[in-house]
Amino acid sequence: MDHPQTPRILATHLSNFQHRIVRVLGKVVQLRGETAVIDAGGNIDVLLNRDSHLAVGHAVEIIGKVDQKLQIKVQAATDFGTNIDFNAANAVVEATHRYKEIFYDGE
Amino acid sequence: MNYNSYETGYNTSYGAGGGTGGGGFVPGEGSQQSPGGRRDYSKDNLRPVTVKQIKEAQVDSGDVFKIDNAVVSQITFVGQICNISAQATHTTYKLDDGTGSVEVKQYIDSDAVDQPNPNKAKLVEGAYCRAWGKLNHWNDRRYVASQIIRPIEDMNEVSYHLLEATAIHLYFTRPAPGAANAGAAATNGGAGQQQAAGGGNHGDYDLRTCSPMAKKVFQQLREMPQTNEGIHQQVIAAQLKMDMSDIAAAGVELQDSGLIYTTVDDQTWAILEPEH
Repeated sequence: MDHPQTPRILATHLSNFQHRIVRVLGKVVQLRGETAVIDAGGNIDVLLNRDSHLAVGHAVEIIGKVDQKLQIKVQAATDFGTNIDFNAANAVVEATHRYKEIFYDGE
Repeated sequence: MNYNSYETGYNTSYGAGGGTGGGGFVPGEGSQQSPGGRRDYSKDNLRPVTVKQIKEAQVDSGDVFKIDNAVVSQITFVGQICNISAQATHTTYKLDDGTGSVEVKQYIDSDAVDQPNPNKAKLVEGAYCRAWGKLNHWNDRRYVASQIIRPIEDMNEVSYHLLEATAIHLYFTRPAPGAANAGAAATNGGAGQQQAAGGGNHGDYDLRTCSPMAKKVFQQLREMPQTNEGIHQQVIAAQLKMDMSDIAAAGVELQDSGLIYTTVDDQTWAILEPEH
């Protein structure tokens, strides 16, 4: 298990995943240089790294660690374009936690 | 669940000697062979899974894997490429779907090297792709031997796949909502079977619309030992101790229903193998 699991979450799950690495699919709301705001069931502040290329209005999938302030420190960001069905993506998050036996190991 | 069977094509062959003589349509030898001689393709399946399910699949025996207690032959999943290593005989992609990561080996088809795969250029680190293949293990390491890996163009496929994998997982682990309904609607054959309980077992054949006489003849035809050529109606009449005209009428009825067909002459009948 060299690659850690990265459970898919939304803004509402942040407090349950402090200090863990997560995966978030959201829409880029705002870019502020070193940080950005993405909307994934609520706004999330993300701390960017040098390799992340976000575009406002685009969907982006972020892998990163949730810190104490419930911000996500980005490890990797993948552009998902502008044609993402967030209802489906949010349904995946719901399934992830409801049927976590096939998605991630508990604490 | 019987997803499909590819067997129907093997059941019939055209008589070789019948060029002008009215065309022999003779069930091929293949269908008469003893079972077990060939692999049972009807149990083959293709299952959408998460990497966590791959990691946790149980080894049943040898290289048979089970997920949710169901044997899996082929799997498909979606993941992000986190590493690529090209070897002489194969390329290994490490795919991560957020639930874990697994190696996918794609062997190089030496016959196809001349035609570069346009997909391959898009399979780069960080890209999402979908892989199809067979779960394998070697030295306690699990990997997927894949025939096809293609890049994902529409990122919604990632969501789609994970939801599909969830749905199939639930199919195998939970009683279906309204399971009683599903059971009843499962197969027409099931209904036919129940209905046939009174007059013997008609298997997958649907005899609901047939007269009692036709059912009797069909049952007799089914139970008698016979060759590819089927059985002459006189033999059936003798067995059932029934009138030839009744047997002939039943024969017409069964032919009209597509349940039997004539072989060497109009009076010799064989059962038409049902298509599944």
